[in-house]
Amino acid sequence: MDTLANVAHGFGVALTGINLLYCFIGVFIGTLVGVLPGIGPISAMSLLLPVTLSGTPESGIIMMAGIYYGSMYGGSTTSILVNIPGEAASVVTCIDGHQMAKQGRAGPALGISAFGSFIAGTFALVALMLVAPRLAGIAIAFGPAEYFSLMVLGLVVLTFLTQGSMPKALLMACIGVVLGLIGLDSITAQPRLTFGRMELIDGIGLVPVVMGLFGVAEVLLNTEQAIKRDIINAKITQLLPNKADWQASAGPVARGTLLGFLLGILPGGGAVVASFASYALEKRLSKTPERFGHGAIEGVAGPESANNAAAGGAFIPLMTLGIPPNVVMALLLGAFVIHGLQPGPLLIAQNPGLFWGIVASMYIGNVMLLILNLPMIGMWVQLLKLPYSILFPLIILFTILGVYCSSNNVFDVYVMIAFGIIGYFMRKLGYEPAPLVLAFVLGPMLENNLRKSLILSQGDLWTFVQRPISAACLALALVLLIAPLLPTLRKKRELVALDEGA
Amino acid sequence: MNDQTNVKFRLNNSELWGGLIGLGLGGFVIWSGLKLKLGTINDPGSGYVLFYTGILMCVFAGSIIVSAITEGGPTLASRWENARWSKPLLIIACLTAFSFALEPLGFLLSSIPLMLLLLRLIDPVRWPLAIPIAVLVPLGMWWVLNRLLLIQLPSGLFGIG
Repeated sequence: MDTLANVAHGFGVALTGINLLYCFIGVFIGTLVGVLPGIGPISAMSLLLPVTLSGTPESGIIMMAGIYYGSMYGGSTTSILVNIPGEAASVVTCIDGHQMAKQGRAGPALGISAFGSFIAGTFALVALMLVAPRLAGIAIAFGPAEYFSLMVLGLVVLTFLTQGSMPKALLMACIGVVLGLIGLDSITAQPRLTFGRMELIDGIGLVPVVMGLFGVAEVLLNTEQAIKRDIINAKITQLLPNKADWQASAGPVARGTLLGFLLGILPGGGAVVASFASYALEKRLSKTPERFGHGAIEGVAGPESANNAAAGGAFIPLMTLGIPPNVVMALLLGAFVIHGLQPGPLLIAQNPGLFWGIVASMYIGNVMLLILNLPMIGMWVQLLKLPYSILFPLIILFTILGVYCSSNNVFDVYVMIAFGIIGYFMRKLGYEPAPLVLAFVLGPMLENNLRKSLILSQGDLWTFVQRPISAACLALALVLLIAPLLPTLRKKRELVALDEGA
Repeated sequence: MNDQTNVKFRLNNSELWGGLIGLGLGGFVIWSGLKLKLGTINDPGSGYVLFYTGILMCVFAGSIIVSAITEGGPTLASRWENARWSKPLLIIACLTAFSFALEPLGFLLSSIPLMLLLLRLIDPVRWPLAIPIAVLVPLGMWWVLNRLLLIQLPSGLFGIG
């Protein structure tokens, strides 16, 4: 009964005019960036982070969340119609989705993708409502040792799943921790790595770092190639999948939803991992695996459901533990902090309107997305024809403005340009930016909890292994660190290693 | 990867350079940590986490270097093979020039030339289209931010914007 009352309270918050407007703006922009290759939810969220300052915390976070799950819907449109993933979680949808479109079945591919996403998104929300408050109750008992170990695990999982060599990803995570520690030490108030510059006393901002590494660097990388788009020009008809399509897709949608939700909760996991895992699972379970890659609807239904369920599941560690499981959630944490809120075990109890309002808005957002992505599909197809030669300069201008507006400080624009250039060379040399950004956000928390644990335990390192949750997290992290040394596990890692950046 | 692009001991092994940069950064972080004071394990100081992170950086960078030497790696040139490398280079030059011009010239006088250059350099947009976009978009954004949202953008020495 409590949950129902809370949900009703949440809908009361989410259905206010201003929150509905922010929710619509969020899912609209999310679909837009999902549709447009080259900009992903990370760039869009960092661009709009400063805008959240103008409204209430509920409105701002509702919009940011909308961008995230909206991009999951939009990404599939580009994958199916153009064979270019709109964002990283839709990479796998290209394989069978575009083949279906080529066979004149773009409608059912788009349809099952939208319906699968809706079903998975709805399931993830119900699960979020049921799991989050209980987990928050348990998390109150967490001490600094548990938090430290959980963050270590999150970083290790992300580096494990990042494309390329693991030492490179770990090096990136270490650099992220160091960058996060720039500024005044929170315990001794001693300036660290500020080089005498007043602008660095408060540390480097998350927005310029993310916009540089994901926005500017992405544009620089994209301009290297003359991107050709193989757009399906035929009129899209019959968006509703037929009975046979539904029969074939029911299992993949259910399995993708469950798998995606579980992978979304894990620190370091997320929508990208979930979509690949779901595709692999469906191919393995299929009686006719040879159809995969040639337009099998299961290859669209499973991954699309999985990435949306994961997007919902990823809110759980952020809302209940205050630990962002991936870069997108790290940005959302930034939005909370901007508004003076600290996600964690007490958030649900202290700000029930905020938590349940966000959850309810996500449900409303899912309905909005279904309407935006099916009847209005023609509009998104037209948008795909916007030339990159115009789009890229616009993105650069918007990133400059976004960074400047977040702090009213020209120094941040310099930081963004510098990180854009660094990010470009990093990507060219095979260093992924995702571990750096997550470590940048977690770094100060990680340090704080480590130092607190050591002070509380009077320097006894056993404190990290005497507490069962902490010990389990560290043991899992150790297994993942050792895993790439074993040839069989290394091969498996290469199969699931992903580019989280797009 | 063929012999032309995969080298071991040569200086143009890109993996080796990546590792060496990481090692240099790690060394700097260790030194910074020591300078900030490590404290004790009972009461860690400001440089404690930096110092140990620096050590980890050196370990990972060392592993990259060892693997670059034993297994080889792509040459620096091969990383830009079949890529239009001049395009990002030009954008970087434009952004660097913009960063120097932003404060003295202000937002409008620096962003209009930036937009025009980007529109003409990436994949040349026709002048009749490039000029209106380069002028109207920054002007529109300035109007929205400055007049509607009351966000002050840099106006530069000439006070324009």
